[in-house]
Amino acid sequence: MRKTIIVTLFLALLLGISSAVSAAQEVEIALLYPLSGPLTEAGKRMKAVYEVAAEVINGSYDIQGIPYAKTEGIPGLNGAKIKLEFYDTQGSPEVGKAETERILQKGTAKLIIGAYQSAVSKPTSFVAERHKFPYLCGVSSSAALTERGLKYFFRVAPTDFHDSRMFLNFLEDMRKKGKRVKRVAMAYEKTEFGVHAMKEVKKRIQEYGGTYKLVADVPYQFKSTDVHAEVLKIKAAKPDVIIHATLFSEMTLFAKTYEDLGVKVNANLSFCGGYQNPRFAEQLKDTVEGYMGSCTFAEDFILKKAHLKAINDMYKAKTGMNLDGISMEGFTTLFVAADAFSRAKATDSESVTKALRTTELEITTLPGKGVKFAENGQNIWISSTVSQIQNGEYKVVWPAEWATTEMVWPMRP
Amino acid sequence: MDPTIIFQLIISGLLIGLIFSLIAVGLTLIWGVMDILNFAHGDFLMLAMFSSLLMFTGLGIDPLFSLPITVGLLFLVGLATFRLVIKPVLGYSGLTALVATFGLSVLIRNVILFFLGPNFRLINQSILAGKRISFMGLYLSLPELFSAIGCVLITYAVYLLISKSKFGRALRATALDKDTALLMGINTNRVFALTFGLGAACVGAAGGFLVNFYYVFPEVGMVFVIMSFVIVALGGFGNIGGAFLAGILVGLVENIGGFLIGPEFKYTLVFILYLIVISLRPKGLFGW
Repeated sequence: MRKTIIVTLFLALLLGISSAVSAAQEVEIALLYPLSGPLTEAGKRMKAVYEVAAEVINGSYDIQGIPYAKTEGIPGLNGAKIKLEFYDTQGSPEVGKAETERILQKGTAKLIIGAYQSAVSKPTSFVAERHKFPYLCGVSSSAALTERGLKYFFRVAPTDFHDSRMFLNFLEDMRKKGKRVKRVAMAYEKTEFGVHAMKEVKKRIQEYGGTYKLVADVPYQFKSTDVHAEVLKIKAAKPDVIIHATLFSEMTLFAKTYEDLGVKVNANLSFCGGYQNPRFAEQLKDTVEGYMGSCTFAEDFILKKAHLKAINDMYKAKTGMNLDGISMEGFTTLFVAADAFSRAKATDSESVTKALRTTELEITTLPGKGVKFAENGQNIWISSTVSQIQNGEYKVVWPAEWATTEMVWPMRP
Repeated sequence: MDPTIIFQLIISGLLIGLIFSLIAVGLTLIWGVMDILNFAHGDFLMLAMFSSLLMFTGLGIDPLFSLPITVGLLFLVGLATFRLVIKPVLGYSGLTALVATFGLSVLIRNVILFFLGPNFRLINQSILAGKRISFMGLYLSLPELFSAIGCVLITYAVYLLISKSKFGRALRATALDKDTALLMGINTNRVFALTFGLGAACVGAAGGFLVNFYYVFPEVGMVFVIMSFVIVALGGFGNIGGAFLAGILVGLVENIGGFLIGPEFKYTLVFILYLIVISLRPKGLFGW
């Protein structure tokens, strides 16, 4: 009997040791995304892309221009594997905050990645900052997020500052070619994302003096049942160009209502959001032919960067869809995390934050050189392009060095 | 202001208002007769939309033709809900039924999410899709026009059924006093079951219409159901004509008010209207 007890205790000890070893070989990253509620679709797509990124980092893949693909696991941590733990924000800032507190109380995660909507990234990153815990933001675009003086917050994606500057540069280019672009209307959801995008567009328009005129400023409620009042307000202003900061659900409503109410403009430009979702072009077909928007990745990019096909194929096998800009920004974000852990050679908050601050990751997934954070935590090596839906596909049409296809202008005859 | 814009706002308000009306008619029927607030009403709408969508994508049946099947299916869903969820809690506090329908709502949404995924889907190749009539600078989207006409006809049919038929008399008697109705030989459980079925069929029809021009996803019901609660209260609990007119009123306030004051305030305006009405007439515009 005593012998049995001793053997049992010995085995239990052995099991404990072996699990401690396996735990040491994993680095847990907590990911905050909307996995239920109205933004479930976006959240699940993000979940899929992070899983693909973890697969590439943890396995060995021969993909050119992607560091940490060939090696297995995180080299600086003796090949430790990345373990993803997803937390559901339900698209709500309050739930997001509570989930962040839970992550921090649990204490197993070494980094937080989040949170899709700017309105959720904002409070959740505040919670992380209070705990001096590193927070890597994948895709939220409100420039205000990196204007808060936070020390533990870093963002990979371009902001609405970058996109608004690109849009105005694009319009200026069109204007110089003799196109009519003076009258600009803007429709945006009344959230952190939309309101800040609007402010940035307003600032850029002011910078050009009287060259452009904002003829309609149309905010709307997220989760609208219809957008006729909004579209009629835009139609009454007779704009040449409409700019949207709109998520998928309302973007489909706007597109259908523009068509139903006979709204004709030269260009319909979108910040990241609904426009980028490949289902937008796939499902609305002719209705959205010629729509344009900011784009950090579309299948079209593979024509210029053939090695990205392997990643797109992995994602497509998982979701049945091509990668879009937002997903590729998420993909890149996990590599930034792997790079920080690898260089830090440790997983404590201060070492990881210090490593993130000194990131200079050359990676060819997005337009631009890769990822390097400014003092405010914003990636300064990122750039963006303008894509256009042509025959149901996203084609890069501007600037010239990225363009694969001629632009159709005006978007409607 | 351009008069065509005003007319367009009125037309658009009427079209969406009529859809709201039909959704609210189903809700008010159940509420009026059984004093039960059906939290799963929005999910019934979502089920109807998915039913039409799946018949379109799987069997190639246009939503126009699958409408009777969808309505029939939702009628059965209503009956099943009564038998399995409502009947066991009848006679207990109203809160019990409310919590039961809330649980049902969560269950339906998650089952759909599990089997059909979270994606937004749209029918863009149906017979009516993308078609419109235009005259004197005004535009009428055919899917919305067809839906609005359908909503008027169905609401009128429900009104006739309740005000003229024998079943309608039984239903009204049950709504007024369940115990007395029982003493008069009315099978109140049967009336309740049919009322639940009828309420679900109404929202089924609304879903069958809506799918022609609105996206479908597991949470779509939540977008409409809040507005339906307001419409039911605004029109008067259990009053079909009230729900019908309140739906139109909400559609018009949303569109015209949203245009004049600001689209970001269009729902605020609806709720202000609601607060004004219930402070002046606590039983709603047509309640008694």
